[in-house]
Amino acid sequence: MTANGQVNSGEDFGRFIDLRKGWVDRRIFSDEKIYQRELQQIFARSWNFVAHESQLPRAGDFLTTYMGEDPVIVARQRDQSIKVFINSCPHRGNRVCFADAGNARRFVCNYHGWAFDTAGKLSGMHAEYAYDENDIDKSQTRMQPVAKVAAYKGLVFATFDPDTPSLDDWLGDFRWYLDMLLDNEEGGTEFIGGCIRSEFPANWKFGAENFVGDAYHAGWTHDSGARATTGGIPFPDIDMENSFHSSVNGHGWEFGTEGVGDISLLGSPAVMEYYEKLRPKMADRLGKMRSQIWGSVASVSLFPNISFLPGISTFRIWLPKGPEKFELRTWVIVNKAMPEDLKREITKRVMLTFGPGGLFEMDDGENWSNCTTVNRGEVTRRQLLHYGSGISRRVDDHPILPGTVFRGQYSDANQRLFYERWVDLMEAKSVKDLPQRPEPRMTGRETRELVGVSAL
Amino acid sequence: MTSTIEDRASRRPTLELIKELEQTLYREVRLLDQERHDEWMEMLAEDLHYHMPGIETRYRRDKTDTLHDLSRMCYYNDDKSTIQLRVDRLKTGTAWSEDPPTRYAHLITNIEVEPTERPEEYTVYSNFYAYRSRNERDEDTLVGSREDLWRREGDRFLLVKRFILPKWSVLLSKNLNVFL
Repeated sequence: MTANGQVNSGEDFGRFIDLRKGWVDRRIFSDEKIYQRELQQIFARSWNFVAHESQLPRAGDFLTTYMGEDPVIVARQRDQSIKVFINSCPHRGNRVCFADAGNARRFVCNYHGWAFDTAGKLSGMHAEYAYDENDIDKSQTRMQPVAKVAAYKGLVFATFDPDTPSLDDWLGDFRWYLDMLLDNEEGGTEFIGGCIRSEFPANWKFGAENFVGDAYHAGWTHDSGARATTGGIPFPDIDMENSFHSSVNGHGWEFGTEGVGDISLLGSPAVMEYYEKLRPKMADRLGKMRSQIWGSVASVSLFPNISFLPGISTFRIWLPKGPEKFELRTWVIVNKAMPEDLKREITKRVMLTFGPGGLFEMDDGENWSNCTTVNRGEVTRRQLLHYGSGISRRVDDHPILPGTVFRGQYSDANQRLFYERWVDLMEAKSVKDLPQRPEPRMTGRETRELVGVSAL
Repeated sequence: MTSTIEDRASRRPTLELIKELEQTLYREVRLLDQERHDEWMEMLAEDLHYHMPGIETRYRRDKTDTLHDLSRMCYYNDDKSTIQLRVDRLKTGTAWSEDPPTRYAHLITNIEVEPTERPEEYTVYSNFYAYRSRNERDEDTLVGSREDLWRREGDRFLLVKRFILPKWSVLLSKNLNVFL
């Protein structure tokens, strides 16, 4: 920090949080220089979520999205692989594709008619005689590809940095939790058609940290939604003994073990019935513990900006658009094996509860935007923010739960560990050197094959 | 409205009918702007379908129907019972994002009335411009078109169907706690 509160590049970002005392410096939510470093250090080097495989079933299917603020095209190839490349023409830099989704054999730039195949390679151009023989090496001219693309059970991720650890290492033991969403039934998951996008005048981290661990806000912020859907009953008190925060590499899942809290928020008896019938099969598949966690009051974020509510079926990313702005993109994720009418019912209910006009969602934006913009005050932003809840409730060596575990769902534990990972990325010269937080228990790729899993 | 039977038969709405439906649309948004939601609910038919699709930008050559496919994500895909839940939320006293209250103004324009196969039901097209302001300087405007089905019942009209076509792609607003 300089005297006027500006951040120098190469700064010690650890000074913005204190895990031991439990505070976060509010300047990380509004400072332009910190934001630019986040784009460099975090978004250009993390595994960014770019698609669900089900969105691109056929060769030529594509969608457009962002990795940080970089626009990318995500396209299914003829060999079934998925390629990701920057949506900008190498000639003058114009944006090439303007559709959110579709099917294409090629992408053509509107400016000079340069055409690219579905892998982003230059395949032709308008009036090619403009170029003499040695002017351009067409075989080397292309829209910039990302460094790596990888998928985990349907979710497709991409990174711009070749040194980013493998997706399996990046997710680490968090895959044990993720499988509750992605692998609770034979056939896996799919996205429902469409994507609802909305813009918030708020810092992207407020969305991510809310889902990573903030069960605490639900009973207050969303009281009106709870009462409306239950005929006047507020959220029940949390069972602090049998609920947890778990964090792996900054990803976090906060959860109860009562099994029904999140599912019941959807307010659909048909959905409840489906999951109750599935639960014993889930126990066979993923073990008893995971079948009990599934459907409980819970929320999840994957570092840095991917979130979902297990059992409620909303899946989303918080795309950064400046220090005081993010774009929320939401999808509905369902099991492929579900009957079509149940998928429809879930889709309706997700939008009723967690769409922009949703009974729960609509009270979040006010909080996040005001948490952000109030920091325009020079003196306001000097005050450190309190992140101390549950700071002494760490559970060492839980016999079942992987990750860094804290007891009690009302806690700032996952949020603190999210910001610990934020510091890791902000300070790391190379992402090769990222520590595993904590040391992983899993060795193989498949969490269903963990020794003794069905007994758990 | 004694002369309307013949007019319906000839399937041409009278000026009087058009005026009556226009006044119905204006009254509806006045109730919304004044947060008189119970009275607004009384204008909704029991078999209401209230639909606003999400918007996906696609090239002209792409003929995918993203607007009317109800299996896709929609801002609203409601019947009267789920609209009632939204109204109930506002009455809980803990809808924090509405306290202090939002200031609303709906402008309704471009009203056209067309007869339907059923003599008591009319298709009504309109455009809306909905302005919202909150607290110090939060504001947004939502613009779009609507295709309604209104049903005469006694001396009033009930809203049976509303298809709201928003003109934005990314909703430039942190929520949509407004009826359009």
